[in-house]
Amino acid sequence: MNVLIVEDEKGLANEIAAFLKAENLLCDMAYSGSEASEKIAINLYDFVLLDLGLPDYNGLDLIREARKNNSEASFIIITARGAVEDKVKGLNLGADDYLAKPFALIELLSRINAVARRKFNVINQVIQLGNFIMQTQSRKLLYEGREVELTKKEYDLLLYLVLNQNKVLTRLQLYEHIWGNILDDQYDSNFIDVHIKNLRKKLNAFAATPWLETVRGVGYRVSADQ
Amino acid sequence: MIKLKTKLALFNLLSKLAFTALFLIFMSYIIERINLRQVDNNLIQKREQVLDLIARIGIDPFLTSDSTDAFGSYNILKEEFISLERVNMEEDWNYIEVTSRLIEDEEIAYRVLNYSFMVDGQKYLLEIGNSLTSILYAKRNITKVILVFLVFIIIITLLTDLQYNHYLLRPLDKIIKKLKGISSPSLFDKTPVRTNTSDFFSLDHALREMMEHIDELFQKEKEITINISHELLTPVSVLRSKLENLLLKEDIDPAISEKIEESLKTLHRLQSLVNSLLFIARIESHQYLREETIEVNVVLQEILNEISPIAEDKGVILKEEYIQDLRFKAANRSLFFSMLYNVVNNAVKFTPTGGEVIVKSLFQHGRYIVTISDTGRGMTHSQKSTLFSRFKSKINIGENSTGIGLAITKSIADFHNIEISVTSEPEKGTTFSFLFA
Repeated sequence: MNVLIVEDEKGLANEIAAFLKAENLLCDMAYSGSEASEKIAINLYDFVLLDLGLPDYNGLDLIREARKNNSEASFIIITARGAVEDKVKGLNLGADDYLAKPFALIELLSRINAVARRKFNVINQVIQLGNFIMQTQSRKLLYEGREVELTKKEYDLLLYLVLNQNKVLTRLQLYEHIWGNILDDQYDSNFIDVHIKNLRKKLNAFAATPWLETVRGVGYRVSADQ
Repeated sequence: MIKLKTKLALFNLLSKLAFTALFLIFMSYIIERINLRQVDNNLIQKREQVLDLIARIGIDPFLTSDSTDAFGSYNILKEEFISLERVNMEEDWNYIEVTSRLIEDEEIAYRVLNYSFMVDGQKYLLEIGNSLTSILYAKRNITKVILVFLVFIIIITLLTDLQYNHYLLRPLDKIIKKLKGISSPSLFDKTPVRTNTSDFFSLDHALREMMEHIDELFQKEKEITINISHELLTPVSVLRSKLENLLLKEDIDPAISEKIEESLKTLHRLQSLVNSLLFIARIESHQYLREETIEVNVVLQEILNEISPIAEDKGVILKEEYIQDLRFKAANRSLFFSMLYNVVNNAVKFTPTGGEVIVKSLFQHGRYIVTISDTGRGMTHSQKSTLFSRFKSKINIGENSTGIGLAITKSIADFHNIEISVTSEPEKGTTFSFLFA
């Protein structure tokens, strides 16, 4: 997939690009609004990561322009302003998602993937985890046909780990993803540990889960190859 | 507290009553004086008549034989009397006095003229009396008429005063109303109050200018907070991405991973601090809408569902007593959720294993209340006093927390016109009460 990163903060743009390139996405960069405007007019992008706080351009105008040019690009708005009306305006103009700075790179990737799944209509994913099967459409986890009863949070946690398999997710990244609606200030690494503990207990009642690993001092990982 | 209008009316009433009382006393004195003067003139006239008579017919006809040396006569209604007697005294009398006389077992007040004169070497004393009863009646009647008239005048002027005061003070009422209904200067109605009273005009003008100025300062302060926050969030964002990318390197030493993760946590503290300040600035500058209707118990249930795994893991008993529900209108659901979530989460955090956290919702004395009580370590008085202040909090809330959570809770409560009260006893526990307006 082809991604344009529109971000005037070069340090950040480069880090995002490095991360996405490692995920086999093609990245192009624009450090200003006018540069972005030109690039959007010439090239076809699947995604535009758009920082609204551009010094020379109202970021929302870029969405308008792109829509006028019949660009198929999906917009993910990135902003440090985080003002509610910006979010609403952006989404009204047809942006696909919205991320407030600072965000986890993993979270950005999952948003991109989620938008891609919606766009290409691959909502119904069936993921194999040892003898467990995860059905994303019905939000169910099955073990040899029997359902494993999970709470909403446990399911979301597992899904996030699964969708980012083979990557270590820190407790903070997991917390932000699952409890994004709650303030950062209430972050407690214990939250994730408790839920993982409960999740393991439920899964282990069916079968061992060597694929759900604890990475000491860092976080958790789901490995696909075990 | 008494309204200015009422005070003015009361003062007017009292001053009028005092004035009336004084007037009545003065009037009755004047009436009495006038009447007495008239009576006195009358008496003097009569004396002249009697003396004339005596000069004409001599004194003898008055002094009849049987009563030897005195003469007395009064008319049948005892309004007047006249007496003449022989006296033996040196001094001359010529004066008028008020005295009472006993006539046929009846004591009557008279104005009496005493006059002594010589006839044929003999001194006589002439007394002419005029009953004061009629004067008193007259006085009473006149007083009555005046009184009725004055009462009438008082009532009329009182009513017009009330009306006029109401009209006159209407701009003041409007100014007060404008001030009463607002919780922040930004909400002050800036349209001028119509008045031709210069005092109210200056008051209104000064208030509007002041509010505008304060509002400007507040806005500036909030803008600065918001701008600084944005400026801070950008480098945090860069740093975070760099650290996360480092953490993803395959060949990284686990000990270094751990250090990076620690740095990320520290960075997160900075991030959440900035975000919290930003959040408060946004709430206080009313950037959030209040247009959702929520059922309080549903929100409480959601919060408890979120927290119960943590409480269970810790061995803290989470009890819920939803006695009554409230459909809370004009709310912002996610802010409202955060407000209560912070407190419930803290309660669980500060309650040791085996302790209890009780969440209650009910109507008490006509007010809807949500209480969150714990059997945790409680707070001292000084800890309680700084509970809601940003940064000043004397409670150690743990390494990840910025301690600003309760300041957020307070600003959300203010935003929703919800009052918070806290009771706490060290080593016994703490109760947070949210009192809905």
